[in-house]
Amino acid sequence: MFSDLEIGVFIDELEEKIQVINDGLLALERDEENPDIIQEIFRAAHTIKGSSGIMGYINMANLTHEMENLFDKIRHSEIHVTSAMVNVLFEALDTLKALKEEVTGDGPAVDTSSVVAKIKDFVEGGGAAGEVPVQNSAMNEAPVPKAPAENTLASRQWLEIGDVEENVIREAELRGYQCFKVAVDIDRDCQMKNVRAFLVFETLQQVGDIIKSEPSAEDIQEGKYDVGFQVVLITKEDPDSIKNLMITISEVTEAEVQPLILSNAENMYGQTKTKEAPGAQPAIQEKNAFKQEYSDKKAVKTVRVDVNKLDNLMNLVGELVIDRTRLNRFAEIFESRFGSDDLVESINEISNHLGQVTGDLQEQIMKARMLPVAQLFNRFPRMVRDTAQKLNKEINFVVEGKETELDRNVIEVIGDPLIHLIRNSIDHGIETPEERLAAGKPATGTLLLKASYAESHIVITVQDDGRGIDANKIRNKAVEMGFVDRETVDRMSDREALQLIFRAGFSTKNNEVSDLSGRGVGMDVVNTAIEQINGTVELDTKPGAGTTITIRLPLTLAIIRALMVTLGKQVYAFPLTNVSETIRITDKDVRRIGNNEVIVVRDKILPLARPGRLFNCPDCVEATKMFVVILGSGDKRIAVVVDKLLGEQEIVIKSLGDYLGQVQGLSGACILGDGKVALIADVRGLVKKLGAEETAYAVG
Amino acid sequence: MANIMQSSQEEQIVVFQLMEQVYGIDINSVYEIIRMESITKVPRSPHFVEGVIDLRGRIIPVIDLSVLFGLGQNERTQASRIIIVEVSGQTIGMIVDSVQEVLRIPVSAIEPPPPVVNGIDVAYLRGITILEERLIILLDQNKILMEEEKDQLLQPNIAGNQA
Repeated sequence: MFSDLEIGVFIDELEEKIQVINDGLLALERDEENPDIIQEIFRAAHTIKGSSGIMGYINMANLTHEMENLFDKIRHSEIHVTSAMVNVLFEALDTLKALKEEVTGDGPAVDTSSVVAKIKDFVEGGGAAGEVPVQNSAMNEAPVPKAPAENTLASRQWLEIGDVEENVIREAELRGYQCFKVAVDIDRDCQMKNVRAFLVFETLQQVGDIIKSEPSAEDIQEGKYDVGFQVVLITKEDPDSIKNLMITISEVTEAEVQPLILSNAENMYGQTKTKEAPGAQPAIQEKNAFKQEYSDKKAVKTVRVDVNKLDNLMNLVGELVIDRTRLNRFAEIFESRFGSDDLVESINEISNHLGQVTGDLQEQIMKARMLPVAQLFNRFPRMVRDTAQKLNKEINFVVEGKETELDRNVIEVIGDPLIHLIRNSIDHGIETPEERLAAGKPATGTLLLKASYAESHIVITVQDDGRGIDANKIRNKAVEMGFVDRETVDRMSDREALQLIFRAGFSTKNNEVSDLSGRGVGMDVVNTAIEQINGTVELDTKPGAGTTITIRLPLTLAIIRALMVTLGKQVYAFPLTNVSETIRITDKDVRRIGNNEVIVVRDKILPLARPGRLFNCPDCVEATKMFVVILGSGDKRIAVVVDKLLGEQEIVIKSLGDYLGQVQGLSGACILGDGKVALIADVRGLVKKLGAEETAYAVG
Repeated sequence: MANIMQSSQEEQIVVFQLMEQVYGIDINSVYEIIRMESITKVPRSPHFVEGVIDLRGRIIPVIDLSVLFGLGQNERTQASRIIIVEVSGQTIGMIVDSVQEVLRIPVSAIEPPPPVVNGIDVAYLRGITILEERLIILLDQNKILMEEEKDQLLQPNIAGNQA
């Protein structure tokens, strides 16, 4: 059978194509007969059919075959897209996803027959006479994949020529070359499809240039094709000799060479050819002739890498960063000890260069771990569509900044919070069309999901133009649910009151728990998840006008900038994202409220934490003048007394290990330039613990 | 063949001293032995945890074995060492007074521990052996890292919360 690796590649491709179909269907729903979209879905279905057939997943091949048939008819305008059809296609897509899970072992066996039948209804119902698909439901039980019909000689479907190729071909013809479409079929039982394909390509390139292939050249050379593949060849040879060349390659069962005649009829899928492409180099002049980069999808050369490998790489770089810092220190020590002699200078030079290289390396690996947030955002349009349909709401879902890149760990973490926020917006935020019209708004609500860079942060915004959140409602609800008493809540500013929705268990829905939201796990989960990765969540709302939720995230998780301080003999690191300022105070500035010390900074009362109280640090001296670091997490701030401020530094976060597990007040450790270990303060935990009393102070 | 025979009958142990008593630990679990270095104290950690050190880029917790055994804090000298042990994926360092040698002991010479040895709870022990008139207490490295300690690790934290 197939190795895990091969199945992995197949699954990856499958996910990619499912996404393509998903996007396509959503677009189709809006823009019904867009030939580009139809073509794209057709291709995706075709690819899945091919690869699943090879892998022996018959149900999947069968299903995608039907989808392909349907889209084939649609693109030939034999059938028109209807909303019923789109719904069935979405059902087919869900079935496809379920089949994928069946393959990966995450899901039960899936019955495809009903959805296949539904698609078939559309195909047959709207189809032109004659061409009835060869496959039928009997194939469900067939033990081996049958050859997809269109790959037999009689009904060979030739690949299509795009604009770019056309220009190249015209150019070539002017130079006296001829252009042929070459189809090669490889023996079905061939064990080394990639090798055969390579031979075919090699042979053809000796006599001419390949300007296009179907599937793509990479896929072909990796052996990812069905029984055969097609290429467009520019050559001076005659067709018969090309055919003979092909047949002599072992395991090639059939080769067909056809002259490619350009005509306007060939250009049937809508793209008007306007550009003469004066700047385009004729492909024939280039030795490397895989020109599928020209096709509308950007074929960036990629290698799939296991995330663990990247993580390891990142760890190694982390160590290198530490050593670089150490080397720097030693270079300094050498310099101070031996003055500027040649050796010291060499060391300095080496140290500097190493510093540069490590810096670059760190940046590159960090980038390699980055993924466009599109990976995540692409999941949402479908979710929004389904949710909106279920709730009878009309929503225009706008996604911006898909190309923004984020560390993949961050992407993994923010997925669920975003789902919560979007669902909240649809369920609680945006009103029904009737309500909206009554309120003088357009019937269709707008939901904006946007990612962008801001300084060293990524900002993700979820914005709706719905009914907004009424602070008074929150107040009442909070009292009703027993979170706070009436008196406290009345004294809260609107902003503070809104913060209540981040409390665990808070929900504004009255008893009516829908399967979408309203279980009271929403905002609390969002907040916790985001804060876990050193991000912040802000909420801004105007009753009647909508709600904006802004999430700020660090670019990466592994390396952070931190403020280094000493408490007693030890060095502690405070993540810079949490440090709002550092000030100097004297004894007199410290006031007491009850048993607790506080200081007043610009009219705000902040709880003051002594290191002893914070970290049980016995050897910390208490001086009359002290440095105070103000730390913030969410809306809460606390002040921490430290002995010395050492400055900012880039640190690599390491865990304290399983043995110690979670130590309260600490989020990990990092290694300093001199090889010592500094502890990283868990600001979120500290603030939560000490800041809990803040509200009480404010009131008292 | 001879080798296999030998290994089935003999065991290599690292012999170290702690509070005037000689202990042994299976060499297979010993990752390396390093000199004392500066240890970063971890607040709110159990009393027997001395702190953490950097072992070539890894953060390793270090425990004071004599405190763990309830023998009181020992004195740090030039001879003090940290034995880094790795057991089922976890790595910790143990501070000992000195490391003496590596010995081969016949498996048959290992006897079950008496209920209480030198005040140390028998739970940490694998057995005792007498070699050349020396009494060597064999530690069970698995138990040093295991469950009870985990519980203990949590308790001071809870106490810290209330403080």
